[in-house]
Amino acid sequence: MPRTTTVESPGCPPLRALTFDVLGLVKVIEASDGQNGGAAKMVERWGDPDSSKCVLAASMLDRESDPLLGIARKCGSIEVISAINGDLRAHIPSLCQAEEASCEDDAITRLHLFKKHQSESSSRSCTLLTCSTKGHASMESIELGRSPEDAIHDRSPKKWNVCASGNILCSKVDENENYALYGGKSVEVNVWDLHECVKIWTAKSPPQNSLGIFTPTCFTSATFLSKDDHRKLVAGTDSHQVRLYDISAQRRPVMSVDFRETAIKAVAEDVDGRTVYIGNGSGDLASIDIRTGILLGCFIGKCSGSIRSIARHPVLPVIASCGLDSYLRIWDIKSRQLLSAVFLKQHLTSVVFDSHFRNKEVAGSVPDPQSVNEVESPEQVAICTKRKKSSKEHSGSKKVKSKKSRKRSEGNDY
Amino acid sequence: MTKEKETLLPSAIKNKEKRSAVHAKLKHQKKVEKRKKAKAREAEEKRALELGEEPPPRKIPRTIENTRELDETVCKPDDEELFAGNDADEFSSVLKQECIPKVLITTSRFNSTRGPSFITDLLSVIPNAHYHKRGTYDLKKIVEYAKKKDFTSIIVIHTNRREPDALLIIALPDGPTAHFKLSKLVLRKDIKNHGNPTSHQPELVLNNFTTRLGHRVGRLIQSLFPQDPNFRGRRVVTFHNQRDFIFFRHHRYIFETKESKQPESKGKGKKDKDAQPQEKVIARLQECGPRFTLKLISLQHGTFDTKGGEYEWVHKPEMDTSRRRFFL
Repeated sequence: MPRTTTVESPGCPPLRALTFDVLGLVKVIEASDGQNGGAAKMVERWGDPDSSKCVLAASMLDRESDPLLGIARKCGSIEVISAINGDLRAHIPSLCQAEEASCEDDAITRLHLFKKHQSESSSRSCTLLTCSTKGHASMESIELGRSPEDAIHDRSPKKWNVCASGNILCSKVDENENYALYGGKSVEVNVWDLHECVKIWTAKSPPQNSLGIFTPTCFTSATFLSKDDHRKLVAGTDSHQVRLYDISAQRRPVMSVDFRETAIKAVAEDVDGRTVYIGNGSGDLASIDIRTGILLGCFIGKCSGSIRSIARHPVLPVIASCGLDSYLRIWDIKSRQLLSAVFLKQHLTSVVFDSHFRNKEVAGSVPDPQSVNEVESPEQVAICTKRKKSSKEHSGSKKVKSKKSRKRSEGNDY
Repeated sequence: MTKEKETLLPSAIKNKEKRSAVHAKLKHQKKVEKRKKAKAREAEEKRALELGEEPPPRKIPRTIENTRELDETVCKPDDEELFAGNDADEFSSVLKQECIPKVLITTSRFNSTRGPSFITDLLSVIPNAHYHKRGTYDLKKIVEYAKKKDFTSIIVIHTNRREPDALLIIALPDGPTAHFKLSKLVLRKDIKNHGNPTSHQPELVLNNFTTRLGHRVGRLIQSLFPQDPNFRGRRVVTFHNQRDFIFFRHHRYIFETKESKQPESKGKGKKDKDAQPQEKVIARLQECGPRFTLKLISLQHGTFDTKGGEYEWVHKPEMDTSRRRFFL
């Protein structure tokens, strides 16, 4: 018997995700629910393909009104765009031309857009935290205007050096946005207080093993474990280990779990504060209960390329993963089943969720009551559009008729 | 009764002699039927030809290849993102002829018997290729060295039990790295009536690299060869992809004009006088060798790094859901 390949996908709940790729494109993927579940598909593409604009890092300010996206590009510039329609809101040209000639060496690795305002100046400002591979971190705030030219960014950003040597590969800001962690190649995980810009904690590398072999440190991804606690960190290393650090306990890892054979490339935490999702260089995605270190299970779905980014939906029980196989995959957390896979043609660098998608759809459809139904299912959408079209046609014909009648009437007048 | 017997499956008969007799009979019947069909078809074709009609269209046999499963990653010719991606990828400097490809060939630590002779064959196939002894160097060190010496690719031939069994192609300076399984290797000296290639730059034929991954592998292979072939050399190197196996062949070709006899002109005296013997151009091939088959195992992003490397594509058993599903 030949095995069939049709995947019975239960379909995604309605969601909206944005992906960033190596050609600098931002793609919007939407899934709409229906009776038998909707399939996710690409609805919009922002930007033109240009390899110098390769997206290195992206961050989303996920809020009800005016959500923003921060994008760090390969050429060194940072853009802030609207997450609804992709309009450019602010543009920070690369600083490296002025300071250093080597822009390529000191690319921005991580970027974070702050949710709350550092200075209570106005609601239109946003604060950006960036970190480059050489360890130059800076925090600056931007005053957003109506057009990108109106945006004012302060001339004196807060700057500090995270590390003297080595490369920063990962950084993360905790939920309350008071602390940030950094880690990288030959840089141990360290935690910084963002208000005072001081290092408050550094990890210590694990001891040599029984053979006296010391593995050089290389952290490829890290995250804070839970929302309300900045003291627990999870980090993935190049030597396929996932380590749990506790700041309050010790400097060495509390626990370390091995996962398969290739480097851990992405780590994401769950909202429950104990499950961690890890993705590695050969495209294996798994969830781990970090309290015990037990592998809960792998996400199986023909994922063939390295996973670069994992995002957890804040509300729905789904995660999204993307990476070098240029697919965006959406998974169910409970059953670890593939809900949907979208082919996006380029190597993807990161993915973010827009959790206020549903509200926006309703809010956007104030004048037209029909478009609430539009989210239901593709067939219905088709019907809706048909309806619209037909109604338009009707109106058009009516207009023509009315014109004709007018003409007639005019003719009669004559 | 007879009907029942016919419907009875031979496998349901318990007596072996009886069973084999019934089976043989059935088989014979099938064969006869098949032959009858073929004959009928032939006759129809012939009749159509005589009447000057269009012969009935030939039926296309259903193969695994042409019933391939639909794949969304197959490249489309009107895809602007594909071309933008191609322009930006690692091979574009070689393929745009901005630099001349220079290839370093090396082996695994142990190399004997068929390995060295395969390398001599490869050196004659790929222009501007240089063989370096492996010694005890790490591959990462070799990559560093080759980058410094302006090589554009490295080929590593892995030998197991005195038989080459894997091929690693590393594009320099920043990847990707393709790992192939190598099988069915026939060296030049083992090919009957083989030709000896000249030192002209060969033409390159890449067949059936359809998907995104296939395109990338195809471009990787393309970047090994110079992009300006000497057509005077009449040498052609073929990489033919069929069902994810890449077949390598190396030929010399020649166009010959051959006088072809025309059977109709014989009977008619008028034509015989003025008609010169019809000249027909035919191409003849001579294989130069070597001959081998490659199968992609993995494609790694960046240069060789097994520990911290990221894979763009790795074959996993869960991907083999059907035999009609191909990745290249």
